[in-house]
Amino acid sequence: MNVLVVLSIILFVLMAIVGGKKGVKSFIALFLNFGVLIITILVMNDPNANPIWLTLVACAFISAISLFYINDVNSKTTMAFFSTIITLLILFFFIIIITEKSMIQGFGAEESEELMTFSLFIGIDFIKVAASVIIMSTIGAIVDTAISITSPMREIHHHNPMITRKDLFLAGIRIGRDILGTSTNTLFFAFFGGYMGLLIWFKDLSYSFSEIINAKVFSDEMITIFTAGMGVALVIPIASWMTSYYLVTIGNKKK
Amino acid sequence: MKTWIQKQTKKQLFIYFLIVASFIGSIIFVNYNHAFYDQPIAKVTGATETDRTETVDQHQNQDITVTQQITATVKNGSYKGETIDITNEYSGSHAYDHAFQPGDEVFVTIDDSTFTGTIENVKRDKYLILVAWLFIIVLLAVGKKQGLLSVISLAVNAVILSFALDIYLQNSDISLLIICGISIVLFTVISLLMVNGMNEKTYTAIIATLLGTLSSLLIAYLALFVTGEQGLRYEEMSFLSRNPQTVFMAGLLIGSLGAVMDVAITMSSSIFELYEKNNQINLKTLKASGIDIGKDIMGTMTNILFFAYVSGSIPMLLLYFKNASPLGFTLSMNLSIELARALAGGIGIVLTIPIAIYTSIFFIQRKRART
Repeated sequence: MNVLVVLSIILFVLMAIVGGKKGVKSFIALFLNFGVLIITILVMNDPNANPIWLTLVACAFISAISLFYINDVNSKTTMAFFSTIITLLILFFFIIIITEKSMIQGFGAEESEELMTFSLFIGIDFIKVAASVIIMSTIGAIVDTAISITSPMREIHHHNPMITRKDLFLAGIRIGRDILGTSTNTLFFAFFGGYMGLLIWFKDLSYSFSEIINAKVFSDEMITIFTAGMGVALVIPIASWMTSYYLVTIGNKKK
Repeated sequence: MKTWIQKQTKKQLFIYFLIVASFIGSIIFVNYNHAFYDQPIAKVTGATETDRTETVDQHQNQDITVTQQITATVKNGSYKGETIDITNEYSGSHAYDHAFQPGDEVFVTIDDSTFTGTIENVKRDKYLILVAWLFIIVLLAVGKKQGLLSVISLAVNAVILSFALDIYLQNSDISLLIICGISIVLFTVISLLMVNGMNEKTYTAIIATLLGTLSSLLIAYLALFVTGEQGLRYEEMSFLSRNPQTVFMAGLLIGSLGAVMDVAITMSSSIFELYEKNNQINLKTLKASGIDIGKDIMGTMTNILFFAYVSGSIPMLLLYFKNASPLGFTLSMNLSIELARALAGGIGIVLTIPIAIYTSIFFIQRKRART
């Protein structure tokens, strides 16, 4: 049997045992997200489609699946959703400039052997694709951080309805700071794990320090790590501000 | 009302000053470090388009190829100050080529007889440093002390990893997995102590992380063994200079470590918090709350790994599709390794939830027995 099938079955069974109904939902969400990703890539094949807008739409779907499908629609998931989207917009603005300037798009010289059989004149703008890849790598972590902030903030407001907007905002920032370390760690190690082969390759072929830091593949991966870290940090004030504004200012008006 | 500066202590002001000074210093350095490179660097001073052709490849993909004539000034070496001519070709898709504008800096090889150059690579160090600084500044601005700690922990972990790989490459008789195992213990202890300080929560999280990683490794091994690794396309792993299977397993171990640590510390912190609020709380309630917290985090945590791994394959997938490769073939060629990593990492995340609950309960019981 196929390894992937076996691993999927093991993951499904474990999620169902540990998480019950919610575990099953989380597993289905993973598959739906995979579907969204594949469809996005297929649509990106159309040379007239703009990969950046496509990625934003895809990220909206992915966040919606991770937040609304697993947790239902409520104030904490809605706030997490909008803070994710706003963070992505800010990040995109920055990433597009950086990918264009640093020319990290497409494939590096290290991959030339693999590319020999392919036609590279395929009419898709790889600069935009590179920006999309960086955003896509980060979306999971940004959604996770957003919900980890909005959810306890709602609890605080619930137990403390008279709390001022500023205090609630600061509480959100404090929660965010506590999870910042672990969230960034999750991403760092995920990327380190993925780049193991590349790191060994650099060392085996005794690349010099200057060759490594100017290599396209290395710059690409470092910029991805740094941008991902920035995304996780940026979503903290955004989610705290939005949730405190929504719960206190709008919540009080409703009353 | 006090101004912002008056509110800061001397020590804080000193730290801000230090950060700003090293920021400015390093940015200036990478923009004027040409003398430190052996390879000639040239700065583009002019670029004119000389030809633009529409192309259609064998799969009916439309693209354009553009030829540009570049004049550039050499910034270092024996030709310093000379002007060279470069012919550069690029395509509309930029998959393996670059369009240059005045101001860009490139590594070149120079033909001394004709004073023409060939572009070898782009000088990317200045952008790398800039992004690294932005990362540090954003993390410090948002996270203050915790932000600083996560920057330090990234740096320390990167150094350990690089050091561990050096040891592996110098002593190839030691298995990469053993070296990774030792590094994982170091990563876990250092990262968790830095993020959370020395206390029982951290010890619990360290033990849970190590047990979680070990059990997910065993399950992954077992699955690979039972299936005879059918469906894993090692041949499509990029940048291979070693046995792909070892590189894959080592990457899998280290890749899921961060997520497993995250789960372990979240679980142990919340369970210990419940215990501290109410020392008499019974174990069943603790277990039930633990499971509830676990349910909340497992979906988003598995998602983090999934997207961090799979997104990197997008450019290659597009290339395959545009070269008329069939869907199933393309997906299995390019995604099997990443998917296997994401699934194994997911298994680690889910397994760590009960492991962390029982480890926390074990420590709590020991604490109770002592008092």
